[in-house]
Amino acid sequence: MKFEPDDNQGTILDGLEQMIASLRIEPPKHPTTVAFSAELDAELGASGFLDIAREEEFTLLDAALVVERAARLPLTTEAASSALVGPLLEADAFQRPLALVRGSALAPARFLPQARALLVDADDALRLIAVDPARVEPVESLFAYPYGRLSSLDGLEVKTLDPALLPAVRRRWRLAIAVEAAGLMRAAIDTVVEHVTNRRQFGRPLGSFQAVQHRLATATMAMEATKWLAFRAAWSDDEGDCATAAAHAQDAIPTLTYDLHQFCGAMGLTLEFDLHLWSYRLKALLGEMGGSSAQAQHAAVHTWPRAA
Amino acid sequence: MTDDLAHFRAEARAWLSANVPTHGAPLEGPESRAFVLDWQRLMYDGGWAGLTWPKDYGGRDLSVDEQIIWFEEYARAGAPSTHNASFVGVNHAGPTLIACASAEQKAFHLPKILKGEAIWCQGFSEPGSGSDLASLRCRGRIKGDEIVIEGQKTWSSYANIADYQELLIRTDPASERHHGLSWVICPMDLPGIDVRPIATMAGPAKFCEVFYDNVRLPIDAVVGGIGNGWKTAMATLGFERGTASLALQISLADRAEQLARDCDDPMLAATIADLRADAAALRAMSYSFAAACAKGMPGAEGSLIRLYFAELAQRVTAAAVDLYGVGSPRLSGDHGWAYDYLDAYSETIAGGTAEIQRNIIGERVLGLPRGRS
Repeated sequence: MKFEPDDNQGTILDGLEQMIASLRIEPPKHPTTVAFSAELDAELGASGFLDIAREEEFTLLDAALVVERAARLPLTTEAASSALVGPLLEADAFQRPLALVRGSALAPARFLPQARALLVDADDALRLIAVDPARVEPVESLFAYPYGRLSSLDGLEVKTLDPALLPAVRRRWRLAIAVEAAGLMRAAIDTVVEHVTNRRQFGRPLGSFQAVQHRLATATMAMEATKWLAFRAAWSDDEGDCATAAAHAQDAIPTLTYDLHQFCGAMGLTLEFDLHLWSYRLKALLGEMGGSSAQAQHAAVHTWPRAA
Repeated sequence: MTDDLAHFRAEARAWLSANVPTHGAPLEGPESRAFVLDWQRLMYDGGWAGLTWPKDYGGRDLSVDEQIIWFEEYARAGAPSTHNASFVGVNHAGPTLIACASAEQKAFHLPKILKGEAIWCQGFSEPGSGSDLASLRCRGRIKGDEIVIEGQKTWSSYANIADYQELLIRTDPASERHHGLSWVICPMDLPGIDVRPIATMAGPAKFCEVFYDNVRLPIDAVVGGIGNGWKTAMATLGFERGTASLALQISLADRAEQLARDCDDPMLAATIADLRADAAALRAMSYSFAAACAKGMPGAEGSLIRLYFAELAQRVTAAAVDLYGVGSPRLSGDHGWAYDYLDAYSETIAGGTAEIQRNIIGERVLGLPRGRS
């Protein structure tokens, strides 16, 4: 077993760090609940980092490393669907940002206001829709990602894909949830650790209180577990692994986000403090694909067919 | 239940069904002020404000039983949440005045609160003094018969639309910690007061910073005596932690049931059933506590209920987000569950963080040795 990045992965991560450094990415200057950056998203798309799972010499795990790093940035981009679900689609026809939706093509989807393509898991059919931004109605949401829904499909190019792809799309979608959550958790924990190190009450740093240390330790365990489950799932691309990773991530999110906000006090409830840039996204991921109970059921059915 | 209480319940139900506003309460700004004052006035005129407050000050001097019945019916009727701009005045500034204020202060302020003529906010926390309230530095210099206030407060909900503030300041410049503090009634329209709302993650900018620059108050604005501010503040926090949220505690069971009615997922249904059980337990604890402190000040046991309520409110609202999902009309808007979910994050911070409540439970309920400095 190897837990250190190999040479390829080291090269990718170094390259990504260089690009991030050159872009001088900073949290938004004005308080906002949705910190999507079209510029950063376009840069990431143009850089090729989101396409590596299509390349012979790279793997799905390499792509997962990119998504985890991108999720730690204070600005939101659509990296996960493009890098992990996108490679299932033919490269010629692929356009990003890519939005994903289950059930109705008219249901609200993350990133739809910016997306150029919408992949619809319509239970027994798979469709790829070329998105016309004029057809997208923004959906009010307090959960950091831009959400929108299509007003109608009239006149839009709708391509019907092979339904045999459906299980893979769902599997990669679950993987995308887990990988992105791992990155968000780490950035959020880093922010809180810095806060409780600097903030003093009762004459000492908040972080010196064991009640605070213990719960941050628990949050760190949840983050580490999410990360390694997600990387394992990216390595195996296995149905059960992907569902397990997503279930674990979504299961960990509520306690983790409450605790992280808790230790930043009322400051952590404001838009003037950066924690929300990651915690909001975690909250949105909490319910994706039916939430943790749906992923756990899927993992159980896959792993022990008698559970079906 | 006695016939009297059954009759009281029927009256409450009838009045609420005829008077509960059909449109939702605005959450911030002048509209929210007008809404809560109008609603408070309507309740007062109907005889439903200050049920347990003294008759001399506009109350009805009824028992905690009637208070509980009223809140049960209030929740059942879907009446406006009590967690609004009138919360501080009705639920802890008013009770603090009843317990600690002079006859003149009570006669002036209590009827205004009940009649919907004044909104109160709280001025306890400072940027450097959150959980460690006793480290506060906002200064009140006593000059003759005036107090001159300099400093800053923060997390003062609705300070931008409030008329008065329960303000805790250091009036003895040589004092430290909880000595030398005074609890004063500060009119929010005095020269030198500047209020800045802060945008929160739940949406509305109801939290405010308040700055005091040479603000002059008459010395008779002090409640409970100069230098006794910590004792008065502990009364305020006792109410805030113990009984202020009674209506909200009672309503949580109704809210859990609302989720149960909409749920067709067996795993989520099990979660909601657990929440319903916890909400029932919370009601029982709240009733017992409210009865115990009906004739006196709430004790440290209030922290048990405050903490139980805070954490349960977070779980109930999170279950709603799970149940309905993004894009559901049940989540969106000022009165959707998404707002409640995000707003509930403040429940484990306001009025003393969950960590402070646990310290109180450990030290004052269980009598454990003090661990922190």
